Amino acid sequence: MITPALPPPAIVAPEPGPTVSAALTEANVRVTSAFSGAQIVLYGAVFDPETRPSDVVVIVRGPDQPIRIARKVRVAGLWVNSRPVVFEGAPGFYMAASSRPLTEIASFSTLRRLGAGIDHLPMNAPEEERIETRYGVRDVVVSRLGGDYLEWRRAVIRLKEKADLYATDQDGVRFVDKGLFRAEIDLPTSAPIGEYQTEIILFQEGEPVSRRSRTITVEKAGLERWLYLFAHERPWLYGIVSVIIALTSGWLASVVFRRR
Amino acid sequence: MDIYLPIAEVSVNAGVLVLLGAVVGFISGLFGIGGGFLMTPILLWMGIPPVVAVASEANHVAASSASSVISYSRRRQVDFRMGGVLAAGGALGALVGVEVFRWLRLMGQADLVVSLSYLIFLGLIGGLMLVESVGSVLRQRRGLAPAKPRDRRPVWLYGLPFKVRFPRSRLYISVIPPVVLGIFVGILSAIMGVGGGFILVPAMVYLLRMPAGVVVGTSLFQIIITTSLASILQAGRNQSVDIVLATLLLLGGVLGAQFGARASSRFRAEELRAVLGLIVLIMGLQMGLVLFINPEDPFILVGAGK
Repeated sequence: MITPALPPPAIVAPEPGPTVSAALTEANVRVTSAFSGAQIVLYGAVFDPETRPSDVVVIVRGPDQPIRIARKVRVAGLWVNSRPVVFEGAPGFYMAASSRPLTEIASFSTLRRLGAGIDHLPMNAPEEERIETRYGVRDVVVSRLGGDYLEWRRAVIRLKEKADLYATDQDGVRFVDKGLFRAEIDLPTSAPIGEYQTEIILFQEGEPVSRRSRTITVEKAGLERWLYLFAHERPWLYGIVSVIIALTSGWLASVVFRRR
Repeated sequence: MDIYLPIAEVSVNAGVLVLLGAVVGFISGLFGIGGGFLMTPILLWMGIPPVVAVASEANHVAASSASSVISYSRRRQVDFRMGGVLAAGGALGALVGVEVFRWLRLMGQADLVVSLSYLIFLGLIGGLMLVESVGSVLRQRRGLAPAKPRDRRPVWLYGLPFKVRFPRSRLYISVIPPVVLGIFVGILSAIMGVGGGFILVPAMVYLLRMPAGVVVGTSLFQIIITTSLASILQAGRNQSVDIVLATLLLLGGVLGAQFGARASSRFRAEELRAVLGLIVLIMGLQMGLVLFINPEDPFILVGAGK
């Protein structure tokens, strides 16, 4: 019996699907005494053998920072702060730039799954939560903020946007040529120190088809770094040195002026 | 020239800070006060985080007080024994105050307590100073004799135990009132970022009945000790002293204080007191105003980040 010769196994080439690629003009932001914010440009390209309509979303997420927020309430005619609520899981910096409004690019559930867009940031206030049994269902997470929860959350985002720490730019990703796009990342002076995860997602027909990530490192450098480390690693010595500087310069000034 | 402050983590203009230090230093030398009650609110308005402003300001107050106390001491206008007793209380107060401030920040009530303290203490003392000094200026203008100082010392001052002799102040009183006064001022200095001279000076005059000549010098001496300690405590406990900020402020501060001290001899004491009273009152009202006006946003981020 002669078995028909099998064709040699074909090298299965990866399906030439669409891919996205990107590079940053600056991956290391050095915070020195001249630091006054930074602007980083992200360049990228979409490689797609068939030219299907593509959307690009760029998400920049800074290091997580717990947020404490209070509500102003009027007590006996005075405006005072309520007990602060701590939100966790919120980044210290967040930017979502896209080539079109996010809601037009993908469905709610896709965006939620990817954490794309300020509305999909998974932040919550664990200290306000308790787990209880409701209507016979066990382990239901109930927030003490109740129906106000959304209002608190919106306030966090509003205040962070005001400080230029959160931003949504629905035409922040611009195609400058066929398949070639750019986006700008503006870091304010108050941008936290740490690693920023930058994610570039290519969407086609509402689905993420290719992803790339890049890391931006924001770190103190030079004298700034030295002083910061000194203040945190030898705090008592740092305090004594600062007092010696103060007293010596006071004494020097009075000596200099006495001679005149 | 904008400069990024390593601890405050904000960018500010270095020239403005030096100039500000010089102006506040001048006022501090002119009136014989630390000047913290002026500088701390200005730093807050410039966007320096409150914790850093309060801690770094303690350092600046220590410098400008040191700059002027030496000339007072040369003129034998410092009662070191009284200053030491006050400072012992002040040290205890600063220890307590730093912890209280930490706790208040955790409760989100630091802003409220700072505003209220400014409103109450500065408003009260500024108002009293203004009324009293304007009264005496007016009396002089009309050619009347100055009001007789009530020389009767309060009985309770003498009834308390632990009496000590203070030769330079010509006093033989219990150490309890100065120690309590020191504790109180120490707590305030940690919370409000002030030296406390604006409270100490009237308290020494009206409560302890010290002779006017040694009051300012002694108050400056006690302020140096208290603020130096508060500065070290804030750095050690909260890591909140910004050495760059403090140095820029004190560059202008120590020079301004010298010019201020020279200028003070050209003015009459009552007029100086009236102007100081007015400044104190305005700062108190300005800081307290925030409690009464409707907030722009009903929510506020408290101590974000750290």
